[in-house]
Amino acid sequence: MAGSEPLRVLTVCGVGMGSSLMLRMTAESALQDLGVSAKVEATDASSARSMQADVIIGQGMHTEMFEGAAPVVLTVSNFMDKEALKSQLAAALKEQGWL
Amino acid sequence: MAVTGARVRVAAEDWRAAVRAACEPLVEGGAVEPRYPERCVEVVEENGPYMVLAPGLALAHARPEDGVLEVGLSAATLAEPVEFGHPENDPVDLVFAFGSPDKEQHVGLLAALADRLTEGLDDELRAAESEERAEELLEEVARGVE
Repeated sequence: MAGSEPLRVLTVCGVGMGSSLMLRMTAESALQDLGVSAKVEATDASSARSMQADVIIGQGMHTEMFEGAAPVVLTVSNFMDKEALKSQLAAALKEQGWL
Repeated sequence: MAVTGARVRVAAEDWRAAVRAACEPLVEGGAVEPRYPERCVEVVEENGPYMVLAPGLALAHARPEDGVLEVGLSAATLAEPVEFGHPENDPVDLVFAFGSPDKEQHVGLLAALADRLTEGLDDELRAAESEERAEELLEEVARGVE
């Protein structure tokens, strides 16, 4: 992540229309709470492979294929739990020195 | 406004029956072609149960080209929960279904759904004893789209 550029976040699922979109809403709201400027995009897992991102978030069945594909890969099972995602993001972003 | 509809306390023998039940109001309302529910089942078979996106809650859908005519949102609550095979979020007793004619038109509707879910829509639907009550709740979601 370069300087003041917004964080590039991908939320992934199988089709890229439903679950990843719901996760995008939760992630946007969590990042806003953390005061992080970010561009969050929802996509299907196969398209995500060819996309550049700082953070990839999805269910374990999808994130396991992204290990190493982005600096931060987060596995989330409850897409509607903003508080849990917020703490996962805060810990991961701090580790990268982004927060 | 999006087509909405609901089924309550459905006796579904497995997750496939639950997904079909959730899709029924979309077919009846003319939002999707009759082939759509089966495509929703196939999406789970092909991609895994990732659409069980919170404990007890699934969001079934297929692709625009699977026979979607207009945007719709429906739900089924289950008399007995079913297993989708999700490692953390099983068992499921509330299945939403939606359809969108393209990859954009449903975005506002799902945003409104996400908002209402954070306010407890899931438990309000589970508590709904009549289809009318559940349908009212989903109509409110559809009306909340900006």
